[in-house]
Amino acid sequence: MATNRSGAAQRPNGAPQTKVCQFKLVLLGESAVGKSSLVLRFVKGQFHEYQESTIGAAFLTQTVCLDDTTVKFEIWDTAGQERYHSLAPMYYRGAQAAIVVYDITNQDTFGRAKNWVKELQRQASPSIVIALAGNKSDLAAKRMVEFEEAQAYADENGLLFMETSAKTAMNVNDIFLAIANKLPKSEGGGSAGAGGARRLGDAEQARSSSCCK
Amino acid sequence: MAKSYFGAVDEYGFERHEDFDYGSYEAFMSNYLKVLASRAQKWAILLGDDGKSVKRTTTVKRYVRKGIPSEHRPSVWMAISQAEIMKEQSPDLYQKILDGPFEKELVDLVKTDLPRTFPDNIYFTKEANHQTHLFNILIAYAHNNRVVGYCQGLNYIAGLLLLATKNEETSFWLLKVLVEKILPDYYTKTMDGLIVDIEVLSELVKSKVPDVHQHVINLGLPWAVITTKWFVCLFAEVLPIETVLRIWDCLFYEGSKILFRVCLTLIRQNRQKIMSCNDFTSLAECFKSIVKDYSALHCHEFMEKIFTVPGSLSNSTIIKLRERFAKQRREQQQKEPPR
Ligand SMILES: Nc1nc2c(ncn2[C@@H]2O[C@H](COP(=O)(O)OP(=O)(O)OP(=O)(O)O)[C@@H](O)[C@H]2O)c(=O)[nH]1
Ligand SMILES: [Mg+2]
Repeated sequence: MATNRSGAAQRPNGAPQTKVCQFKLVLLGESAVGKSSLVLRFVKGQFHEYQESTIGAAFLTQTVCLDDTTVKFEIWDTAGQERYHSLAPMYYRGAQAAIVVYDITNQDTFGRAKNWVKELQRQASPSIVIALAGNKSDLAAKRMVEFEEAQAYADENGLLFMETSAKTAMNVNDIFLAIANKLPKSEGGGSAGAGGARRLGDAEQARSSSCCK
Repeated sequence: MAKSYFGAVDEYGFERHEDFDYGSYEAFMSNYLKVLASRAQKWAILLGDDGKSVKRTTTVKRYVRKGIPSEHRPSVWMAISQAEIMKEQSPDLYQKILDGPFEKELVDLVKTDLPRTFPDNIYFTKEANHQTHLFNILIAYAHNNRVVGYCQGLNYIAGLLLLATKNEETSFWLLKVLVEKILPDYYTKTMDGLIVDIEVLSELVKSKVPDVHQHVINLGLPWAVITTKWFVCLFAEVLPIETVLRIWDCLFYEGSKILFRVCLTLIRQNRQKIMSCNDFTSLAECFKSIVKDYSALHCHEFMEKIFTVPGSLSNSTIIKLRERFAKQRREQQQKEPPR
């Protein structure tokens, strides 16, 4: 495997030294809105018509490249059913980013998404970057949540917002990229505490795969 | 890939994925088929010609630990778990519930999960009939036990019961005995029994494999994150299917203590691997891999290990720990009212 250093050198117009930052990201939202499908699309480029319901949570990683930084996401895809709610703090504690997902064809899931946003604002790290994803945008014929309504809500609350489709891949990479761009990639801060990214040490950097294809 | 004696679908109807390791599986099966043949003979003698129902005796317990032949699983599970008695006490219950009416909210919940249960199993496709059976089992149970209703995870348990017993009503009674008699409150709205049992496991790991416990905490991975699915699904969708069914053999006879034995075995026998992870990501990946490796597949040896590797584990220890953590939880909840 190529080390990160040589990977960086091969990049067309990349800076010789690429920073690698690692962030913890959590997906929250009602069951069946498409959290696992968004992650599967982002990490593997796939979509399953019938995606298994998630129990507890699933863990995956994916790396994206910005101009001078490689961002490695540690992704927690959680279970959506209400009774798993009491386990959720475990997943968003210490998270630097969250995607709160609803299904544009189901008004209840939008209400549930707002509750998640409220909970994150109260209980998660104050600097957490929150994105709202209105998923299943390919099903516009069955739309129950208006784009403008969600956009207004997102603006009021300082959230990133996009309508996405895990099925067609629309805006899926984009929403993760938007988050990556908004995350503070400060140097120095060594602790994995709230807010700042974890800048990987040399050894860790060599191990983490380079993402630039 | 070299041609294999084993097809693209396993004996329970699961599609084997492209990365399925036929070589390892053949190595395992060549040995396990001999075990199965020998166990089948012993069970045939035990059960006799008239197929009488087994009693809970030490001989039967020993036999169960060595595996129940798949054709006897439905009747033996019913007998050793006391589900048989529950059924005899209300023989018409299942049919009566299915006569309806059903609550729309429960129907919607269950229906959402039907196509999302074992989508890679040929019996659970839209065209096959297991989705209908699964609906009946889950909707009947949701109406029968209002405290539980429908909890995600039960779909995998009921689905696997259906694959193992090929009988809807038997699956219903086995599901009922699991949720109500064998497991503490895992599936209720607050999942208290589940949260307590995860703490019990954490405490057991702390006393039996202290270095692993400390290491996992240091890397910032809570035990609940690792083990929620293990407990909720009773290892269905976690371990290889044959291993899960062997665990369930013992679960129906010996109760929920078996789950701790399995967890502790997975953790202790992979101690080296876990200790050599030095960041969060590799640790999370490690816990994904140890439930799929060679040792987890070799169910007969694995089931021997669960009775030796964790060391002694008495019922009274588990009961005491459960009481302690349940009490802690109640006290905590009184201090901070729920959101
Ligand atoms: N048409 C359409 N269907 C989608 C889309 N995303 C997901 N689905 C479908 O919606 C169903 C639920 O998707 P999941 O990704 O499993 O939903 P989830 O939020 O992870 O659900 P839980 O794990 O139960 O919390 C699946 O059958 C998907 O195929 C989408 O963008 N468009
Ligand atoms: Mg999911």
